[in-house]
Amino acid sequence: MSETDTVDGTDQRVTTTGETSERVREAWSDYEFAGDAKLVVDDLDVYYGDERALQGVSLDVPDESVTALIGPSGCGKSTFLRCLNRMNDRIDSARVEGSVTLDGEEVYSDGVNLVELRKRIGMVFQEPNPFPKSIRDNISYGPRKHGDLDTGLLARLLGRDDTDDEEALVERVLRRAALWDEVKDRLDDNALGLSGGQQQRLCIARALAVDPDVILMDEPASALDPIATAKIEDLIEELAEDYTVVVVTHNMQQAARISDQTAVFLTGGELVEYGDTDQIFENPESQRVEDYITGKFG
Amino acid sequence: MTSRRPSVQDVPTDLRAAASRRAAAAKRWVRDYRSRTADGAVAMHVVVFTSVLATFGAFFAGSQWTVVPFLAFLASIGVGWVKYQAEAAKALTLLTTVATVAILALVVSFLVYESLPAIRARGLDLFTQVRNPAIDDPELGEGLWNRGDVWSLTPMMLGTAITTVIATVVAAPVGIAGAVFVSEIAPRRVREVVKPGIELMAGIPSITYGFVGLTILNQYFYAEFSTPTIGTYFAAGLMIGIMALPTVVTVAEDALNAVPESIKSGALAMGSTPWQTTKSVTIPAGLSGVSAGVLLGVGRAMGETMAATVMLTHTKGFPSPVFDVFSGYGETLTTVIAFEAGNASGLHKNVLFAAGACCS
Amino acid sequence: MSNATRNRIDGADSTAGDLLSRGVLATSVVVFFAAWTLLLQWVDETAAVGGVSALKLLGVGLVVVGVGLVVVGVGSRLGYVDTAPSKTAGVPVGVVFGLLWAAVGGLLGTLALGNAAVLWLPVAALFGLAGFLASVLPREDVGATVPGAVVLLLLGGFVAAGGVNAGWTWAPAWSSAVFPGSELVPILVVFATLLGAWCAGKANEGFGAEGRQAGAYYLVGAVVFAMLGVLALLVGFIVTNGLATMLTRASLAGGELTVPLVGVELPWPEFPFLTNPTGGLFVEVPGVLPAIIGTLWLVFGAVLFAVPLGIGAAVFLTEYAERGRLTQVVEVATNGLWSTPSIVFGLFGLAFLVPRISGGNAIFVGQLVLGFMLLPLVLITSREAILAVPDAHRDASAALGVTKWQTIRSVVLPAAMPGTITGVILGVGRIAGETAPLLLVFGGPPYPSTTPNVLGSFELTAQPPFVTNEALLSPASALPYQLYATITAGVFPKEIFTDTQFGWGTALVLLLVVVGLYAVGVGSRLYFRRKLHHE
Repeated sequence: MSETDTVDGTDQRVTTTGETSERVREAWSDYEFAGDAKLVVDDLDVYYGDERALQGVSLDVPDESVTALIGPSGCGKSTFLRCLNRMNDRIDSARVEGSVTLDGEEVYSDGVNLVELRKRIGMVFQEPNPFPKSIRDNISYGPRKHGDLDTGLLARLLGRDDTDDEEALVERVLRRAALWDEVKDRLDDNALGLSGGQQQRLCIARALAVDPDVILMDEPASALDPIATAKIEDLIEELAEDYTVVVVTHNMQQAARISDQTAVFLTGGELVEYGDTDQIFENPESQRVEDYITGKFG
Repeated sequence: MTSRRPSVQDVPTDLRAAASRRAAAAKRWVRDYRSRTADGAVAMHVVVFTSVLATFGAFFAGSQWTVVPFLAFLASIGVGWVKYQAEAAKALTLLTTVATVAILALVVSFLVYESLPAIRARGLDLFTQVRNPAIDDPELGEGLWNRGDVWSLTPMMLGTAITTVIATVVAAPVGIAGAVFVSEIAPRRVREVVKPGIELMAGIPSITYGFVGLTILNQYFYAEFSTPTIGTYFAAGLMIGIMALPTVVTVAEDALNAVPESIKSGALAMGSTPWQTTKSVTIPAGLSGVSAGVLLGVGRAMGETMAATVMLTHTKGFPSPVFDVFSGYGETLTTVIAFEAGNASGLHKNVLFAAGACCS
Repeated sequence: MSNATRNRIDGADSTAGDLLSRGVLATSVVVFFAAWTLLLQWVDETAAVGGVSALKLLGVGLVVVGVGLVVVGVGSRLGYVDTAPSKTAGVPVGVVFGLLWAAVGGLLGTLALGNAAVLWLPVAALFGLAGFLASVLPREDVGATVPGAVVLLLLGGFVAAGGVNAGWTWAPAWSSAVFPGSELVPILVVFATLLGAWCAGKANEGFGAEGRQAGAYYLVGAVVFAMLGVLALLVGFIVTNGLATMLTRASLAGGELTVPLVGVELPWPEFPFLTNPTGGLFVEVPGVLPAIIGTLWLVFGAVLFAVPLGIGAAVFLTEYAERGRLTQVVEVATNGLWSTPSIVFGLFGLAFLVPRISGGNAIFVGQLVLGFMLLPLVLITSREAILAVPDAHRDASAALGVTKWQTIRSVVLPAAMPGTITGVILGVGRIAGETAPLLLVFGGPPYPSTTPNVLGSFELTAQPPFVTNEALLSPASALPYQLYATITAGVFPKEIFTDTQFGWGTALVLLLVVVGLYAVGVGSRLYFRRKLHHE
């Protein structure tokens, strides 16, 4: 439930969640950080048919860091993530209003090349979804489709063979995804034969192979056991050295462990609070966020 | 687990052990059945199964008394339904299951039984003979049907192969394109109209296709392409291919649709275009279903004899060269049955059964 | 990664190149349809527009497409048009263009050197290789347009220069048919314009992955459009040709209905084609009533036979039998029955049922044979429907202390009914149009003058089998059989129709019956599926 009214000249919403009712202050999601913003989201609304899934979300994602999106299920955090690389275009009834910019370029303008966009913003899904192909082919799929890799008889005849590049790429991204030692002897086996955790790391490696700037992860560890989850978490922290990682999770401990900043979405598709992870978890401004984090509801 | 290779001496003991296990299981089942089933129900089961067996026996023998055990069956199941409904229902469902299997068994065994005389009389020549030595005309394929005691199915086998190839060449690419369109390309609104429309098309009877083919396609090829006869393998194959299209599209579309959305999203999120996703991920993942659709569609269309029966010339022989699909010859394994079985007898009839066994 | 390209995500479109490739695309589409109108003989091939014959116009159209493609491709290579081509057009394009060039080479070789394979085969191979290399060696914008455009230019130029006219014929030695230019040119043009649209579609999106997608979509779209067009034409032919026959002397109020007891005569719709017998001395407008009644009896009997058997077996397999050898055997049996050609059922009926039941063609045997064909469909669909009933329902019922059979009867079967009914309707649609087995076990005289009187023919006898029905054991007619009989019997005995006219009418009635059944089946499936998803 929400309504908008103007108090003291600032835009505030009164929202009730659980037993607490409060005004959402814009200041709660004003997050100051050093350096440039990689992604700037401004006043984003998403509708599925008549249903509003996100309302007026604005947030800046800093470069080379881990940003966690947390919140109860149905709060719109996955919807938000899928807006960033326009995967919501796949859903016929979805309608997006507002602005997202990547390095200052508008993602939601008419002439946008979705291929280029998704090369720059990679994505890892909740369920591991490797292609039913060999491990090697899973890695080289993206570069091949983008014309950066060319192998095969014809390429060899024409002197354009990139087999060595492919070998190097496969090894590099598999090492980066901490999977190389486990699969180096069976690169030509079907990827569906890997364990769930390995499959998920393969999907991360696959995303790295197209050399993105941003990696979106939609609850990447929720389908995995604790040991596989720990490996994925370590990997995410390492990736933040070179990439901008945005990760959705419903696991608050996970968010606290891996992220630099955290955004909290609550019911109704509303961004309530966004800021430094330590600050959000230790001293949130919003009463409802505190209730949520301490487990009073959600 | 260590496995031990069975040696020769073990076999009898193994067999004996297996047999005694079986016997024990059967004994247990009988005990269970007796303890769970009331005496009256047991009696009903016995009467019902005996009367069904007697009915079938009498029918098989062609007796006019078939009706007597059948009435006994009706009476016993009627009484049973009133007094022991659960038991009667279980017995009835078991009977229907057995009947289904029995029908297929009967069809197969009769087909084989009736075609045996033809195979005994003609041997392998029935399927391989390509020249009748009694005929002076050196042209291959002449006089292979009902000339003296020469019967050979070879021309029909060739005809079936030719029409199948033409139909597949028509139906496979167009059908797969249709499936890709409906499943991957078409907007939802278009899909909601096109898909049921194509399913409706699958219902058009083959005789109707045959009639259109006869009055339009055959005439067109005869008038414009000066084919030697009205009716050619090409026209029939083309029509069968068109007839197979709706089934190919429907089945292949189901297969493409069954490829998990998560895999498609994965490919799209890597920045591959929808077409690259379809071509490199969706079609390979659904390939078995797509090819099954092509096989099923063409197979079904070939099985629906009538279009070809109406359109072909029923002249038996080999076109020269073999790929001359506009020749005057035209006969397939199924069309020869449809065209001739109505007034065939003796060896002729047995040969037609052999053709039926060949195509099923 | 070193060789990854960093492009802006919002690439701008160049208007000049865009306009040109769109023009090429539009020309291809126009020529494509023009060729079809010639093929379908809606336009006569000798027709002339402004003094130029239709065939020549097609050729000119191809030349325009070819020139346009060359301009777009070369313009893009020289940088006048802003595009994003890949390094190469790819092997599939190379294979297609190589094959086309090989065909051109083969033809030229035959013309220049004669009809011996030794002579023209090397030429064809050489041309094919050249076409392949010309496609894969240059950058995509040239490789994917120019080699194809050359083929279009050659074909179009040859036709436009008058190398082929309507009277020209080609009689290859391997074929009994003679290919006239009036048909061959439109056929080639149809394929050539598909090629043109494919190339122009790529150019229109600036080549690269997006361009290949556009090209492929144009190709798929054209093929699907042609497929739907052919199917629609087929139905259209039957409807337009059959309607006149079906509505002969039909009127909404021409007939008379005598109200029983009162004796008043009321106006009543009249449909002689649907209500008259086919043969008979005093029938002015022959109709298909005997065939309609025959089809009804066939379907009725087949349903009566197959539905209880199929549902019973499905219940046994899903509810009573444990998964094991028996269920496997039944699965094999149903799949076997399902994939057996219908004519084989006819053979079986002929050899097994006819001697034991009637000694000749009979309605009853036809019912049984069609029942055999319906059985596997009923079994498969009702089994799926029963399996789709959630186990929770069964457990809930069992937890209330209800016996297994009562659970099946009052919980499982009602829940499975929609799926089963849909399956039965679709199956009935299929067997109602089935002809082949009827030829062997069912069909009677081609122009029956009476309808089968099944209801009135039951008789009790003192001899076994005590109940006989003469009509049920006699041959009859059914709609699909009537169509076949009309086709094969030749001359129609009445003056009002030719046999072809009567055939069109019968085909339309058959189509209405069968497609009507299918429409109900498909519609009810959609309805139940939607209902299921909403809950």
